[in-house]
Amino acid sequence: MLSVAVTEPHFPGVVPHERTSIVESFGVPLNLLEWGDPHAAPLLLCHGMWDHARSFALLAPFLAKRHRVLALDARGHGDSGWADAYSWIMDVLDIVTVIRWIGRPVALIGHSKAGSQVVDAARNLPDAVTRVVNIDGFGPPPFGEADLPSPKRCGEYLDNRRRLTARLEWRPYRSLDDLIDRRRAQNPRLSRDWLRYFLFHGAREDADGWRWKVDPLAQSGFGPWQPEWMAPQFAALPVPLLAIVGSEQDTWGPLPNPLRAQRLAGVRQLHEHTIDGAGHFVQIERPAETAEVIREFVG
Amino acid sequence: MHIRNGRTSLDLHVFAQRQGPTLLLLHGLQGSSADWTDAANVWPGSVYALDFSGHGASDWLVGGGYTPELLLADADAALEHTGKAAVVGAGLGSYIALLLAGARADDVVAALLLPGAGLFGAGGNPTFEAELPRFLVDASLPNHPRQHAAADHATVGAPRAPHDPLVPILDAFVRPPYYAEGFAHAARKLLLLEDDAPRPPWWQAAMRSPAAERIRGDVAAALERLAATLKAG
Repeated sequence: MLSVAVTEPHFPGVVPHERTSIVESFGVPLNLLEWGDPHAAPLLLCHGMWDHARSFALLAPFLAKRHRVLALDARGHGDSGWADAYSWIMDVLDIVTVIRWIGRPVALIGHSKAGSQVVDAARNLPDAVTRVVNIDGFGPPPFGEADLPSPKRCGEYLDNRRRLTARLEWRPYRSLDDLIDRRRAQNPRLSRDWLRYFLFHGAREDADGWRWKVDPLAQSGFGPWQPEWMAPQFAALPVPLLAIVGSEQDTWGPLPNPLRAQRLAGVRQLHEHTIDGAGHFVQIERPAETAEVIREFVG
Repeated sequence: MHIRNGRTSLDLHVFAQRQGPTLLLLHGLQGSSADWTDAANVWPGSVYALDFSGHGASDWLVGGGYTPELLLADADAALEHTGKAAVVGAGLGSYIALLLAGARADDVVAALLLPGAGLFGAGGNPTFEAELPRFLVDASLPNHPRQHAAADHATVGAPRAPHDPLVPILDAFVRPPYYAEGFAHAARKLLLLEDDAPRPPWWQAAMRSPAAERIRGDVAAALERLAATLKAG
């Protein structure tokens, strides 16, 4: 069933990016959107799980007043290429590859899962990273006894892999509105108008309908990792860290303050800020204020 | 023959097809199914040997992305094909065999764990002083040959390297004892080949399972012991 072609939705505050680049990382082409003077000090923005570079489309124009702003589509997401397998370590190495490609010291900004990944990237390239901003990427609550990795949970992971292997594509949605409904069920704080813009770029239409651009194989992995590993990981960061959260409870955060404090306890140069009136996606709900806080921190 | 895990084509070698219990062999790090050429001779049933992703005749992963759990999914794809089997692993393959034995206890009738390349991994506890493997951070340099997926196939007629140069990343993953112990407790039967060489914390944790039994001798003797265990069970 062919639908009437959907034209690119506009969302107030979104400024089209000025340049795109493709950076190859271990054979995967990574898409980068850019705003601002290409000779200005660079900021590299990394989105969270299931998102893409336009997660920063409202924030980037503010930052671009003084910086070269680069927003990365992670492998398997947005307009970046697909890999054969996904892992935390390769996401971090992709960020390292892009930092090397930029070729001059960079400040890193990561949202959600990427908030922690940019911390790891900075630890591994300390001479190339000046500062790190982590937007609500402080991990899940501690695992309970029932949540600990177990052979049974692993069996479910393997069952899922078998299902994915048998069918390597998303089922199509009839319309962009159906995608919006799906995403809004997970993130009710995001407006339909925003999601219309964001998901237009996060999905593509074919003869069967709309499918996510994200690779179906880019699902959560399985392994021994536990949230308790985060505190020493953050403590080893050699550059200043700005930790940003929203004041409002949302689907994926924020962590209760004492837990977040515990995870950040060892950070040597810690700055913190809470954005009032925003949930997990401060860069979408309060882009001007978020940009101001970041600009003040990175200089 | 070819099987698939995700988009990756894997080589599952059939060394023997005969009546009797099925054996699935999992090689060590930077090894391949060719490491097991003698096993078929002593086993009283069908024998299969898998080439893990990035090894032997199996596909290299576009983008790298090797993890122990990815190799576990490789082994599970093989198990789906073979059906109920005894699983033997060497080195890294022994760790994968343990995980498979715990996660698929209905289908893995017993697992034999052998020493070999990649036995230790990154140890039992995460350390954040230890950064990403240096060779990987260096591989992210723009002119590194592994940056380009087709590097090994680019030269017509050139022999392919025995394994993807990125697979040593598999040694960078921590194997906490509690994690291994959980799988060992879920497994039906484990035989662990001991000798005078040290064993990693995950192995020692697996030994604490009531399903685990310590054995000694060479690989051929261990296989005979495995076959006898199945016959008795």
